[in-house]
Amino acid sequence: MTISTFIVKNALRNKRRAFLSVSSVAASLFLLVTLQVALRELTQPPESSGAELRVAVRNKISLTNPLPARQRAIIEKIPGVEGVTPFTWFGGKYKGEEGMSFAQFAVDPKALGTVFSDAKMDAAGYKNFNEQKDSCVLGKITAEKYHLKVGDRFVLDSTVYPGSLTFRVAGIYSGTPDDRNMLFRQDYLDDSLGVPGQVGMWWLKVKFADDMPRVTAAVNQAFENTSAEVRAESERAFQLGFLAMLGNIKALVASISTVVVFTLVLVTASTMSMAVRERFRELAILKALGFRRRELFAFILAESFGLSAFGAIIGIGVAYCAYTFGDIGKMTHGIFVTFEVTPRIIGFSALVAAVLGIVSAIAPSLAVARMSVVNGLKTLD
Amino acid sequence: MAAENIVTIRNLTKLYRQGEIDVTALNNVSLDIAAAEFLALMGPSGSGKSTLLHIIAGVDRPTSGECLVQGVDVTKLNESQLADWRNQNVGFIFQTFNLIPVLTAAENVELPLLLTQLNRSQRRKQVATALELVGLSDRAKHLPRQLSGGQEQRVAIARALVTDPKLIVADEPTGNLDSHSAQEVLGVLQSLRKDAGKTIIMVTHDPKAAAFGTRQIHLEKGELTA
Repeated sequence: MTISTFIVKNALRNKRRAFLSVSSVAASLFLLVTLQVALRELTQPPESSGAELRVAVRNKISLTNPLPARQRAIIEKIPGVEGVTPFTWFGGKYKGEEGMSFAQFAVDPKALGTVFSDAKMDAAGYKNFNEQKDSCVLGKITAEKYHLKVGDRFVLDSTVYPGSLTFRVAGIYSGTPDDRNMLFRQDYLDDSLGVPGQVGMWWLKVKFADDMPRVTAAVNQAFENTSAEVRAESERAFQLGFLAMLGNIKALVASISTVVVFTLVLVTASTMSMAVRERFRELAILKALGFRRRELFAFILAESFGLSAFGAIIGIGVAYCAYTFGDIGKMTHGIFVTFEVTPRIIGFSALVAAVLGIVSAIAPSLAVARMSVVNGLKTLD
Repeated sequence: MAAENIVTIRNLTKLYRQGEIDVTALNNVSLDIAAAEFLALMGPSGSGKSTLLHIIAGVDRPTSGECLVQGVDVTKLNESQLADWRNQNVGFIFQTFNLIPVLTAAENVELPLLLTQLNRSQRRKQVATALELVGLSDRAKHLPRQLSGGQEQRVAIARALVTDPKLIVADEPTGNLDSHSAQEVLGVLQSLRKDAGKTIIMVTHDPKAAAFGTRQIHLEKGELTA
């Protein structure tokens, strides 16, 4: 027998309790990992390549207020601007579906390759998109979901504009962080719905990252004191501003995480206290046999740490496997496209488990340290 | 002469504080215990016999007085030194056996050896010897619940002597046993004294058990009476 055998045998002495303890730690850490990943996905959405060169321009009053199409000519003249495209929300529902399962935006097909260069599509797709007014390009995820291929036609019922539009698939793109969107032509929207001269917002691309502050300032300045003042900002700032509209999610998730960890500490500490209390007599015997306080503390700590570590491996492992190999889009009904369990989140969760193991051992260890051999032995007879 | 004694106690007093009142557990006790002696410590409940045993074994401290065991004044050692000293010099036997239920007989006997520098094979060898001495070699892999009371107590004796201490202290070792098992256990203790030269101090209420000792002393109200 070795010391570690002794610790393992003690930890597994009450198998049901050990199983329940490990399960509670595993479930809590699974939840903690999930919350941390969700928080990360919400507050730090994945950045596409080229994001550092893109600028979002929206109405200063609100994202829902449209902008006049005439602004484009002014924006294009600003030095450092490489390309500009309108970006108008259509809000279409597919084949009478209850909600919108993917977003649709009207864009300029000629600027698509420049402004959204991370969207990879074959040359035929770009050609079709440029030549056919009713065409659209579909993200790979949406195309696969609805079994749509190049040449297929489908109808979207708009929730923003009156009526429906029929689209023809010109190409299928991939390579963006969210390959679900559908992009169609602004001129098709204008012609079909009779609302020429208005766009939802602008996306533009600057030539160099160093140009970004100057260009955004210039765009903002260009429309000051007009009927449609704008707010130009980097893609990153735009995304974060968009997320801010959801409320203080960070504080909410942090609060839930704290409650999870706190509950976990109580559960584990209670388990360890019970385990040690049951063995108080035996610990007194061990002391009488010559085991010192630090050795008994090491036994308790190792047992507590072991239970936490085992639970953590299961909880973090299951979360990692589920979110890495599972279909997160399906699991979250499309709310999240990616759900990455990063090394940082794994490390943080493992650290929580380690601290948990140590904290849970403190109270029972103190009780054992304070216990005199005589008092312990008195409980025997 | 003190050199021939394994235990030398001088003017040992132990007071307990119970609320506002001091209770005298031991009152100015002086006692010599010779090497290879089997001392039966008798007396009514509350007479201080267990307290005396605990002080000799280094698990309790006196209020005043001296307690030399193998030349070491155990009252002067700190907690850590006492733990080491107990491991190397004292074997404990308790009334309720107190074996660890999840460990086999051999593993229970091996426990005190985990604190020594012995390697695994050396530990196994000593465990086998100790179990053989108490006649339980064939029960080495049994869990305590698979043993009779007498066998459990013999495993506890093996655990007490596995580190080869000169002194074995036993607190009512036959208190939980039937008369047959008690005879077996006392026989083992007796042979340990005779054959291995161990010094045994045994607390007991039972005159028949005390008769196995080479000397009997009585404590009453914290004082030696005979």
